[in-house]
Amino acid sequence: MSESLDFHCQMILDEYRQSLPQLEKLRQLVVKTLYEALQRNGIIVTTIESRIKTEISLTGKLVLKGNKYASLNDITDILGTRIVTFYTDDVDRIAAMAEQIFDIDWDNSVDKRRLHQLDSFGYNSLHYICRLKQDDCDEQLRNIPFELQLRTTLQHAWAAINHDIGYKTGVEIPQEYMRQMNRLAGMLEMADDEFSRIRTEINDYRRRVQQLVQNGKLDDVQLDGDTFHSYLEAKPLEQLTKRIAAINQAEIQEVSLMPYLPVFKAFGCKTLGDVNKIIKNYADNAYRLARHQLGNTDIDIISSALGLQNICIVCILQQGGGRIGLRRFYDAINGESMQNEMLADITFKQAQQLPFMN
Amino acid sequence: MTTTIERTGKQLIAHFCGRLDTAAAIQTTEDVKPLLEAEKTEIILDCSQLDYISSSGLRIFLAIRKEAAAKANKVLVKNINNEIRQVFVMTGFISLFEIE
Repeated sequence: MSESLDFHCQMILDEYRQSLPQLEKLRQLVVKTLYEALQRNGIIVTTIESRIKTEISLTGKLVLKGNKYASLNDITDILGTRIVTFYTDDVDRIAAMAEQIFDIDWDNSVDKRRLHQLDSFGYNSLHYICRLKQDDCDEQLRNIPFELQLRTTLQHAWAAINHDIGYKTGVEIPQEYMRQMNRLAGMLEMADDEFSRIRTEINDYRRRVQQLVQNGKLDDVQLDGDTFHSYLEAKPLEQLTKRIAAINQAEIQEVSLMPYLPVFKAFGCKTLGDVNKIIKNYADNAYRLARHQLGNTDIDIISSALGLQNICIVCILQQGGGRIGLRRFYDAINGESMQNEMLADITFKQAQQLPFMN
Repeated sequence: MTTTIERTGKQLIAHFCGRLDTAAAIQTTEDVKPLLEAEKTEIILDCSQLDYISSSGLRIFLAIRKEAAAKANKVLVKNINNEIRQVFVMTGFISLFEIE
């Protein structure tokens, strides 16, 4: 028996010990429910943490305010879970998600973000006291409350450091240092808002680019990694690749076409319109090159990059890039190697037998 | 066609010798199984004695690459002859593999 606890608190401690298997079962079920819901909603988070309060910690709490609790289930953080998000917007999204998947005890839940006065900064986190829904578990588990804390990575860092500073020494922190910590909280709040704003603007930009690609206004879209990716999602090379595959009834193996972005930049393309023009102008001769190379073989597997690869080869040759241009191209897509010179030679000789080179 | 697997430190080296054609592909698929099961390993496909590769052979190389990518293993194709390099080019797989 813990010497510092009265009889009432000792009863609660005994109840805790007996409930440990149930608490562990609840912990696993809560974490699983959260994981599944986050996955369904497509929300990526930094971490999901969970813990059952230790006996030492519970004893400390009972010593301080044990008479406040009639039974173990009145202590709402015996099981604690915490989700740390990248963005402040995601805290609200996950809160809405939690309201759907759990029953929330609104009287005991608190949004610490809203507790601050206009001119104060400090601990920011959303604390929900939850219970599992009736359909998700038996009555015994449903009666046990648990705490769900939601905060951003920056809020988490601040809270962790604040906790470390505040509790490590056991000495009360002077007002001056408290003010410095709160000043940092204000700065991190601004940083959180900025990260969210930047994410929103990038997503808006992506949507605008996708819209332009869909509407065929490619000359208005600057060429970069994001826009090239959006352009490729419209599958501008599908027809050519299928046409090449039909030469030997070949299977098409999907691969990324992103390694070709630097090649198009080296061609001087500034917009997706420039890329699209090259693809349209050289697609027929790219097919002829593939027919010439594959037609006399029994190869029945090709990469989905073959059409684009041949377009680049034909573009280089028709613009007079010759062997050196081909060598640079192979260096770009395959890494620099002496053997690329030999490949450039072979490709050049093969292409010379085709009408577009004469 | 023979395939021998050698382990050196964190590397698994597959030495291919002969013609990797359709007939040889069934046995080679069996022989390379340790490469598919490897974790935290650099996989080297040593082709210094590989004379020829067919579509079936390409499929084996692709399967090794796919499995390695899923397990964050690195795959390096080494010492391929000019004919095999040409096969990688004419199928468009040259940009997919790291070839030395």
